Amino acid sequence: MKPDAILEVQDLRTAFDTDTGRVTAVDGVSFEVPRGKVLGIVGESGCGKSVTAFSITRLLPQPHGKILGGSILFEGRDLVTLPPEEMRKVRGKEISMIFQEPMTALNPVQTIGKQLGEAILLHDPQNRDAVARSVEMLKRVRIPSPEVRLGEYAHQLSGGMRQRVMIAMALINSPKLLIADEPTTALDVTVQAQILELIAELQRELGMSVILITHDLGVIAETCDEVVVMYAGRIVERAPVHELFANPRHAYTRGLLESIPRLDAPPKARLKAIFGNVPSLENLPAGCRFADRSGKAHAPELLNTRPPFVEISPGHSIENCPVCTA
Amino acid sequence: MSLLKVDDLKMYFPVRGGVLMRAVAQCKAVDGVSLTIEKGETLGLVGESGCGKTTLGKAIVRLLEPTAGAIQFDGADISHKGRHALRPMRRHMQMVFQDPAESLNPRHTVGQILAEPFIIQKMGTRMERREWVADLLQKVGLSAAHADRYPFEFSGGQRQRIGIARAIALKPKLIVCDEPVSALDVSVQSQVLNLLLDLQRDMGLSYLFIAHGLNVVKHMSDRVAVMYLGKIVELAPAEELYKNPRHAYTKALLDAIPVPDPAKRGHRRLLSGDVPSPINPPEGCAFGFRMQHPRWKDSVGMDLKLEQLTPGHWVQKCPCCVG
Repeated sequence: MKPDAILEVQDLRTAFDTDTGRVTAVDGVSFEVPRGKVLGIVGESGCGKSVTAFSITRLLPQPHGKILGGSILFEGRDLVTLPPEEMRKVRGKEISMIFQEPMTALNPVQTIGKQLGEAILLHDPQNRDAVARSVEMLKRVRIPSPEVRLGEYAHQLSGGMRQRVMIAMALINSPKLLIADEPTTALDVTVQAQILELIAELQRELGMSVILITHDLGVIAETCDEVVVMYAGRIVERAPVHELFANPRHAYTRGLLESIPRLDAPPKARLKAIFGNVPSLENLPAGCRFADRSGKAHAPELLNTRPPFVEISPGHSIENCPVCTA
Repeated sequence: MSLLKVDDLKMYFPVRGGVLMRAVAQCKAVDGVSLTIEKGETLGLVGESGCGKTTLGKAIVRLLEPTAGAIQFDGADISHKGRHALRPMRRHMQMVFQDPAESLNPRHTVGQILAEPFIIQKMGTRMERREWVADLLQKVGLSAAHADRYPFEFSGGQRQRIGIARAIALKPKLIVCDEPVSALDVSVQSQVLNLLLDLQRDMGLSYLFIAHGLNVVKHMSDRVAVMYLGKIVELAPAEELYKNPRHAYTKALLDAIPVPDPAKRGHRRLLSGDVPSPINPPEGCAFGFRMQHPRWKDSVGMDLKLEQLTPGHWVQKCPCCVG
């Protein structure tokens, strides 16, 4: 394991058994999360970014989801082979997760206080300061009058407040790694900005590491140190954030960057668009998976063998399909 | 003459409560909005959720009957027309919805969905309609063979194309696009935006383009209206609004957009708080109240109206939000 990494994912392969056969949602993914830094995973729906997160926390839907191979090293331990009861001690204590839709992630029939307290008592049943700690956490995520909020239910809070409660709950045991899966997608732009700023601030204060999953390259640019770009179950490009935006090499990364409407562009100009649709995970080629959307002809051997993942400059790696990275 | 003229439109909903379910309060979703849309123009409408932008869109195409105010479409006052009187007008104003999965009937084939507008307007024979449907599918970048499939067989972007095909079927003059790309993947969003731009150019359409992200709205629009808690607080040509925003809320919205450039990080002034509820809205300037602006009190009791600062640039002038 690299010394400055808190989490190292190696050749992770995760699949789902469906009625029509096995679908490999994550197909050989490797990356590290640097200690005390924010790693962004960006991609579209079905690219495997959430499945990667659920693999790390071992929260894959059962019995259909399976980790087929690879390892997830967290501080030297392989989470893939950890027994369920050991994994429960890690989850919520050392690795926490925030989900996209805070309304479905919070229990609607329990008070906020009860849910926050549960997160503490699950890992420390003797703790007598659970209420005080809950209040302190709500203060930290800047929820006004936290003592009152403890007695309220999720439906009494606005979307932004609910996401703050989720963050408070995730951080209540001071985890070393926080996984935030599209934490702002369901929120308004103004509230999104507040929540991202809050996560960034808490990350700096607590010195924790963060995996931020999003489909929005704007969010990546604002918050991340390192970026992983995923497409159809694989990583196509990986780089430090400044390098990725200054020097994107894979056709998919470039396409994503070019298709964002920019404020400084002339109005009503046609946008550059990526051709075609997000692929279905069934019947994907073994080789370059972006081939049919790249608009460029691929030789048969490029479709049949997986392009190597190579480092082209320090920290900057790409899936080296010669056509898509030309 | 403008294609659409909305004058002091109000859309209130009763909030019912108590044992007898009497109206105990009013939700002022749209509270005195005036705007115009010219032929071939796109008016962007931007604001946070709950600001009343969807309600305004629905009232304009008369899916809702306004509480007060006037809507003039193509020279005719349609604000209180009944269903039968509206039917001949309906073909000229259409709507594209946010979630194409929910706005297409899952039990109908795409062919049936797209033929329905013609059937309702009693147009064409079965064979003619088949041809028109094939034409429509090609216009939105799908193929005639797709007519026999069901909506679930398509991806999100393709479904939105079907929703757009349905909206343009009767060659309307105005389309209200309510967050048409918010539910789509990033790489597909730009395809759909391009399609809307192409159709506008080819068919001379006018759009009311509703979205919560100012970057998308700015990209699609000739003029942009910024809405906050049922009222328009600023209205200006797209470029002018972006270069020279005057209302504090517009500035805050511009600042909130994440810029896809890590070198420009940390430039933002963040807005605190949430959109207040349109039930019992605060007195005076609603945004000044949210900001707890020291001069908010001065706006209480003032008649806050849009004022023209420079030609075409309108702003709701209150002491706290416009410097």
